[in-house]
Amino acid sequence: MADIQIIDAEKHFGANHVIRKLNLQIRHGEFVVLLGPSGCGKTTTLRALAGLESIDSGEIRIGGRRVDHLPPQERDTAFVFQLYSLYPHLTAFDNIAFPLRAGGMPDAKVREAVIAVAKVLRIDHLLKKRPSALAGGDMQRVTIGRALVRRPAAMLMDEPIGALDAKLREEMRAELRRLHIENDSTTVYVTHDQVEAMSMADKIGVMNDGLLQQYDSPTKVYDEPANLFVAQFVGSPIMNVVDCEIGATANGTGLRLASMSEPVTLGPRAAAKVQRGAQAGELVLGIRPEAIGVSRTPVAGAIAARVHLIEPIGAYDIVDVATVNGHDSGAILRARTASQFVRAQGDPVWLSLDDARTHFFDKRSGQLLRAAA
Amino acid sequence: MARVSLTGISKHYGAVRAVNALTLDIHDREFFVLLGPTGAGKTTTLRCIAGLEQPEVGDIAIAGVRVNDWSAAQRDVALVFQQYSLYPNYTVRENLAFPLKSKLRKLSSQQIADRVAKAAATVRISHLLDRRTDRLSGGEMQRVSIGRAIVREPRVFLMDEPLSSLDAKLRELLRAELKGLQQRLETTLIFVTHDQVEAMTMGDRIGVVNKGELIQVGTPHEIYNTPNNTFVASFVGAPAINLFDIALDLPAGTAQDGALGFTLEPATRARLNALPLPNDRRVRIGVRPEDVKLVAAGGITGTIYGAEHHGVEIIAIIQAGDHKLRATIPADSNVAVNQVVQFSFTQDKLHFFNPLTGDSLGRH
Repeated sequence: MADIQIIDAEKHFGANHVIRKLNLQIRHGEFVVLLGPSGCGKTTTLRALAGLESIDSGEIRIGGRRVDHLPPQERDTAFVFQLYSLYPHLTAFDNIAFPLRAGGMPDAKVREAVIAVAKVLRIDHLLKKRPSALAGGDMQRVTIGRALVRRPAAMLMDEPIGALDAKLREEMRAELRRLHIENDSTTVYVTHDQVEAMSMADKIGVMNDGLLQQYDSPTKVYDEPANLFVAQFVGSPIMNVVDCEIGATANGTGLRLASMSEPVTLGPRAAAKVQRGAQAGELVLGIRPEAIGVSRTPVAGAIAARVHLIEPIGAYDIVDVATVNGHDSGAILRARTASQFVRAQGDPVWLSLDDARTHFFDKRSGQLLRAAA
Repeated sequence: MARVSLTGISKHYGAVRAVNALTLDIHDREFFVLLGPTGAGKTTTLRCIAGLEQPEVGDIAIAGVRVNDWSAAQRDVALVFQQYSLYPNYTVRENLAFPLKSKLRKLSSQQIADRVAKAAATVRISHLLDRRTDRLSGGEMQRVSIGRAIVREPRVFLMDEPLSSLDAKLRELLRAELKGLQQRLETTLIFVTHDQVEAMTMGDRIGVVNKGELIQVGTPHEIYNTPNNTFVASFVGAPAINLFDIALDLPAGTAQDGALGFTLEPATRARLNALPLPNDRRVRIGVRPEDVKLVAAGGITGTIYGAEHHGVEIIAIIQAGDHKLRATIPADSNVAVNQVVQFSFTQDKLHFFNPLTGDSLGRH
């Protein structure tokens, strides 16, 4: 069993506080992705797990054993880098076999182990080739094979597919996830790409500025982002974040965005998250593009808007709409519609906010507002 | 503001053929995107238009006038690169004013100040005018680079992957800004990228380039929905289109490859009957992930190989025979790895290609 625990870990590089009081519990068999922009501390955290960096204070435990004072080779982890760190003069077979032979394993067993892992990675037909004769995706498979062949307690991966082209990345995402399941591995994976994180992780740890912002399932991170940073780092197109005021309407709690003549009435779940009387500058509305319903005909209680820009994606369109009041246009919201649903820039549209997916954030702290229990 | 015409241009670098007999008409005030992988020849094409490279054969015309022999400066085009080529020790204001101080332009200092102020407001950097450019963020620097192109009021803007070194959020923001900017300035803009999302979202038309050849020109909708060949089909769209070879039996109305088989709807049969099919009746089918649907019964049987929860939707990877097909399904669907499922295709959205050449067998 390879549970991983990071307890109160701190790390400085000179004056830079790169890991701040980090606590992370990873259970055996989990695929955990550390996600964040460059410089957020995710790679340092991974390297600290591997023993390639020390931590200033705190503890790291793998399989219940404290390892933060142990050298890398005694931690039973395997590390996969972004760049294929293969020996160029050795064949794919010899590259994968290298860590086993270094451990003194007899030849017959080495052969068995290498072929088994190569089959899983679908590179068994490439074993006689040298790295220079391999395509990028295959090279990275060999690198992963070399890490996997030792059957380490934990697989640590640092942007392993970042250098591949888009289509290959899409394939490798599925393969890595599958490999993780088939090998019953515990995997910690670092990336700045939210699509990779969403598609592979059991849990995502979103990091920024050395601090863990949220640690949850992809669905939870997407549907209930803990703060504005997470809300806007995860999801594409980006979640809309716009200033708003909260007041009262004849029917309940009203929401007003810039250039709206009348507030619109919020649904009960959204209304429960906010206090009436909130002024501009205190609160922001957060809503994902797919949670905005767009109508081409007037809808009672909807927000009047005009089409500002249409971005076709192929499978659907992203439509920027601006709230309007006479000739003034105000807040711009981004919605997602069926392909060619909206015809032209300037067309009038009416917007409805999905009640359950309407969020509010405190503008100063950035924290998500939750309904009182 | 000008039309740009390329007629049969070719360019070699030693033995490497970078651009091969490329003919292309870019309309006045059009946002035109050259899309293709690294090494496709798109940057070389752009540099030929800019006058930084000379094609060995072929004509380049701007506003109907052949400019092959004109210098880069004479062509009156502005080029924006991926790397911000700004003067680091100068302020933003000085960087913007620089192209206007050329003796050729004979502008008064008041005229220069006016143009700089206007360009700065257009790209929203008015508040940064007195800052040195080495104190700017990546997004701000790229805005200054674009501002420096605008201030010259060129006939054509040429942009070479200007958003590629920015982070995802900023790219998304600048995409919309750039498109809005081009519309407000009513100018011709030629934009080079390898990113199909940028091409789809910004282009009035897209020219897909591969190995020095122009493969297809069309609106984003045309490129996505009627690709000329499997290269275009799989280069545009994410997740990528599913492609697989299958044998057709039109009299029986079936398509079969190993364990993957399905019944052709009457309309699909009629469509196929009208296409120039290969003699052995084997075709390559292309089906986009949004046109693969999970059904309760009566579909093709497959097993869930993987399920990616993207928040807005789930990408299910379905194994059927030797094939793995991707399907985008609603976010609230219940799918588990190794679960046996039934699926079907939206048949009027199927694409048919020649398996040997990869060319489309015909429009529909």
